[in-house]
Amino acid sequence: MEIRSGDELAFRQVYNEVFPVVMKVAYHVTYNQDVAEDICQDAFIRFYDKDMSFPSMDDAKFWLIRVVKNLSINHVKRKMRESASLEKVMRGPQSNPFKDGASELILKESTAAVRKAVSELPEIYKTVIVLREYAGLNYKEIAGVLKISESNVKVRVHRARKELEARLDREEVNVP
Amino acid sequence: MCLDDQILNTYLDNELTEPWKSQVEEHLSYCQSCRTRYQNFLKISDAVKSAELTADEIQPHQDRVLSMIEKNYLSKGKSKQSFLRRTFKLSAPQLMGVAAAFVVVFVGSWAVFGHNNTTDSTILLPDVNTTIDLNNITQTRSTDNAATSKSLENYSLDEILKNLDARGYDVDIRLKSIQPLSLDKMSAEVKPIAKILDGGKEITVTSDGLAKDAEGTIVATGVLLKDGEIVASDGTVLWNAEETEIVEIN
Repeated sequence: MEIRSGDELAFRQVYNEVFPVVMKVAYHVTYNQDVAEDICQDAFIRFYDKDMSFPSMDDAKFWLIRVVKNLSINHVKRKMRESASLEKVMRGPQSNPFKDGASELILKESTAAVRKAVSELPEIYKTVIVLREYAGLNYKEIAGVLKISESNVKVRVHRARKELEARLDREEVNVP
Repeated sequence: MCLDDQILNTYLDNELTEPWKSQVEEHLSYCQSCRTRYQNFLKISDAVKSAELTADEIQPHQDRVLSMIEKNYLSKGKSKQSFLRRTFKLSAPQLMGVAAAFVVVFVGSWAVFGHNNTTDSTILLPDVNTTIDLNNITQTRSTDNAATSKSLENYSLDEILKNLDARGYDVDIRLKSIQPLSLDKMSAEVKPIAKILDGGKEITVTSDGLAKDAEGTIVATGVLLKDGEIVASDGTVLWNAEETEIVEIN
C-alpha cells in the first residue's frame, strides 16, 4: 500500500501508528519528554511538508525513526557541549532527570536506574538498544535505519547489553 | 564447546536461523553455565524493556502534537488555502451540466411556486434556452499574471542591466562575501566546523569550505554549515540534519 506523506488521510494513519514508536525513540535517547515531543513534532511536520511517497507503512515508519533518531542524537550532543562549557562557569548540583516529577509519575527506583544506565551508554550502543528494545525493530531493520551492516548490529547489541550489565551491577539494582 | 555471549544475545533477539537455533536450544538444555549467562542477558533485556516510556506517558504528547499539526498544517495547508487558490477546470459538457442543473432548479421552483392553478394537470414548461454562450463565462486563476508576464527571475543579469541602463540608471555591481585568496590566511584559519556521519563514512567539513572523507579525499568544495545542514554555495543541501548526523565542532 503506497503512502503519500502529504495526504491527510495517510498522514493520520501513519501518525496514529508511528507516533508512539518515535516518541519512545526520542525519549530514550534524550530522556526529556518535552524535548522528545518537540523532536517528534518537528519530524512529523517535515514528513507532511515534504509530501513524499513510501512503498509501505514500514518504509514511512523507518524514515520517521531515522529522522527522530538523528534529531535526538544531535540534541544530546548539543546539550553535552553546552553543559560542558556551562560547567566551567559554574559547578552546581545536577538534578537527576530520571527522578523528576515532570510527568507527575513517581517512577519506580528500578525504572529510574535503568533509564539512567541506558542514557549513559555510548551513543553507538544506545541507538541500537533503543531501536531494538523500545522501537521493536529487528536486526535487519536496525541495520537499514542506521545504515550499518547486520553483523555490526549484532555486535553492538551484544556490547550494549554487556555495558548495561556492568552499569546496572554497579548501581546494585534488583532488576525484576 | 560453550556458546559465546554474542550468540546468546542473537538467540535472545530471535535472530538466529536454523540449524543454529536448535543447536543453541539443545546446548542450553544441558549446559547450566550457558543457561545462567543466557538468563542474565534475558534479565537485562527485560529490565530495559520494563523502563519503557508508557502508553500513559505518550498519550498527552501524541494528542498535543496532533492538535498542533491539525491547527497549523492539516486544515490550513490543504483545504482552506487550496480552496482559495483552486483553479476550476470544467470542460464544456460539465459546464452545460452545471447550467442545466440550475435550469432544473429554476424550473422546479417555478413549477411548484410559480402558478396557483393546481387543477391544471398539464405541466407547463417554460421556454428556456439551454445553449450556453461560452463568451459569457470567464475563468480566472491566481497564477494567470505570473504565467503571462515574465517575473524578474526570468531575466538574465545582463538583460536586467541593459534594461536599467536604457532607463538611465547607473548600476554598480559588487560581489559580497568573496574575499581574495590569501594563502597564509587560509592555512592559519582553517579549522573543522562539522563532522558528518554518512552511512558509516566520516566526512569532515572545514572552515575553508572543503568536505573531506576519512582518507583526506575532497568530496565537496565551497560548502558551509547553515542551520545544522551542510549546503553547497548554490544553496543545495548536501547533507541535511535528518539523513545524516552532523556533529558541530566549534
